[in-house]
Amino acid sequence: MTTSRRTTLRGRTRAGVSIATSALALTLCMQGQVFADSKDGNFPTADQVGGEVFPKGLQVGDTFPTDWTIYDDQGRKVDLGKLIKGKRSILAFFISAVPVSVDELKKLEKAKAKSNDAQLLFVNTDLVGGKLQGVDPIEETARTVRVIQQEKDIKHSMFVAPNDALSEHGLSNLLGFRGLPTVYVVDDKGKVENVYIGPQNWSETNI
Amino acid sequence: MSISRRNLMKGAIAAGVAGTAAGLGMKAAQAAVHNAKGERQHELFKQFKGNVILLPGKYSGAVSALDLSVPETLAWYSYGLAGIDMPIPHHIAAMPSDDPYRGFDFYQTMQPPAAPYVNENSPEWRERGAFKMFKMRYDGSGKQNKISVVSDVSEATGMALGVHVSIGVGPNANKYVAYADGQKDMVLITDLGDNPKAVKAFRVDYDPVARQVNISHVFPDQSTGKFDYLDRKGMKTSHEAMLGEELMPADPTAVFVDAFTWHPELPLGAILIRRLGCCAIVDTNTWEVLAMLSTAKGSPDNFPLVKQQGYTWTYSVPSVLTPLHEAGFITSGEYFLACNNVLQNNIAVYRSEDPNPLKWKKETFVEGFGRKYLPLHMGNVPDSRWVFFTIWARKPHNGYICKVDPKTWKVVAKWDTGPDPHTCDCTTDGQFITTVYSGHQAGQSGLVIIHADSDEIVARLPNPGGMHDHVVVPESWEGLKSSRSTSV
Repeated sequence: MTTSRRTTLRGRTRAGVSIATSALALTLCMQGQVFADSKDGNFPTADQVGGEVFPKGLQVGDTFPTDWTIYDDQGRKVDLGKLIKGKRSILAFFISAVPVSVDELKKLEKAKAKSNDAQLLFVNTDLVGGKLQGVDPIEETARTVRVIQQEKDIKHSMFVAPNDALSEHGLSNLLGFRGLPTVYVVDDKGKVENVYIGPQNWSETNI
Repeated sequence: MSISRRNLMKGAIAAGVAGTAAGLGMKAAQAAVHNAKGERQHELFKQFKGNVILLPGKYSGAVSALDLSVPETLAWYSYGLAGIDMPIPHHIAAMPSDDPYRGFDFYQTMQPPAAPYVNENSPEWRERGAFKMFKMRYDGSGKQNKISVVSDVSEATGMALGVHVSIGVGPNANKYVAYADGQKDMVLITDLGDNPKAVKAFRVDYDPVARQVNISHVFPDQSTGKFDYLDRKGMKTSHEAMLGEELMPADPTAVFVDAFTWHPELPLGAILIRRLGCCAIVDTNTWEVLAMLSTAKGSPDNFPLVKQQGYTWTYSVPSVLTPLHEAGFITSGEYFLACNNVLQNNIAVYRSEDPNPLKWKKETFVEGFGRKYLPLHMGNVPDSRWVFFTIWARKPHNGYICKVDPKTWKVVAKWDTGPDPHTCDCTTDGQFITTVYSGHQAGQSGLVIIHADSDEIVARLPNPGGMHDHVVVPESWEGLKSSRSTSV
């Protein structure tokens, strides 16, 4: 199909080196020589993304990692560690591109209304659009999240988490999820209490 | 300025002097084809006589027919005329024609505009564009060539799919056309009629908990005879997965079905399942699923059938070592090739002559692409002396086209044709490879002609449409075996 959208987060310096390296490779090619590989632009190895396309992922009892970047629905950076520290939390990951994951938000919110012992956070795990329009992807994704919030009448906080699926440090590889919605229930000690992949019949018992 | 031959011919025909046309060595039906004799570039391009190339412009919204022997655009059609706001002509396949200057039919798929180019979920964009399939017709028999819509296949069948289209060959010649879509994970087979009828439809769903894949026949509503999958209906994901996005979080059932390719000699076809690195081999007489090939290096040749219940076949897919992109047969049918990419960048080579696909074995892999270059599309030549592949790379790298010797399965030549290279095809005589590059839908883009044996880049033509695909109109059903049928 089409091209990768995961390159926009690279630094200016690295991009400069890449362009120079690319130019060298092109020059070599034009001279009929073998391509010279550069360090960037690589795709990950299986080991870097959990061993295969569908990794085992975060399991019950694992410490839920908080060393990833998250923004609120206005595009402002938020400290996730502080946000969930000492609080039982339900983190529902979705992306606006997957209808079944968006539909899950209101279902989860309704179930949560019957139980008040945990905070519910909705996390959009992607960045959308902009390559042909020149918009800031974080601002654009935050705008989309606000549209979802309004149209689905979502009361709980919504966040934006950029995800580089081709990086071993990308959020989906860090947590090891591929299907959305994926919901993690994290206890007040920061340990994973439960993991739910895909749409669920939510009730107060399973959250 | 001198009077061109074309204008002269048009005048002659307008005057009803058909004999004049014959006297000048040109059929009246070809009156709207320019004769470039005497022009400086004629010596270069005249060798391509008989080759008409269809170029769908992904973000330009139009399809054009190029006479490579002039070169000039014979005709073009904007899908905006079909009432689509922001049309994205995506993939294409042409029916054979012994005189493409006179006319031919072709099939075109269309998908909505999507990320990363636009924010397809924003209120401004989410209703723009459409999933569509069209049967189209090029008519060069009159004073002005034209391309027109023969039928809206999606409306006729009730199912709208937006990715690869391929036409049956060999035992399936003159019978079927197949459409696929990775946002809905569906395949539709129709007949070739001007009012197309659905023949069979498939849906593929992954169960991430059981680690199984279900392939099911999908049936139309009995009362209407049509499916209920028009436009966005049935969509699992609002944009087609880009290269590498097989790793992205998606609908848990998503597998990214990409194409259906046809065996040139046997009544078999392959459903390409990108995200699972699998190809389901289907009996095109009964439409039963016969095997689930697992194309990754280190995986078994095929995954086991767990159960068949009614019209659903369930296969165990315990692990996916790598996704794939395209897969297809070489023209002879002797081999089935699968472009594994992202986690493994290699091309699996199955021997595919046995009528029982459970006996197909991976014999070797084409390797040496490293971690940066992804085998993407394949292109055939009529006598199977070479196989060509598009090897894609992320920005700022260009990717390249490579030639593989099927005797050794080694890469023997490669060309950096431009940024964002896409499909390969070949001229009707099998001497030249045609390939397009799209510049990531905005930058450098064009059509490149390569001599298949001398490896010389013979010509480069500009094309502003962001070409994601193209096809040379084949001259016969036999010629279609090396076109958009056996491979994509």
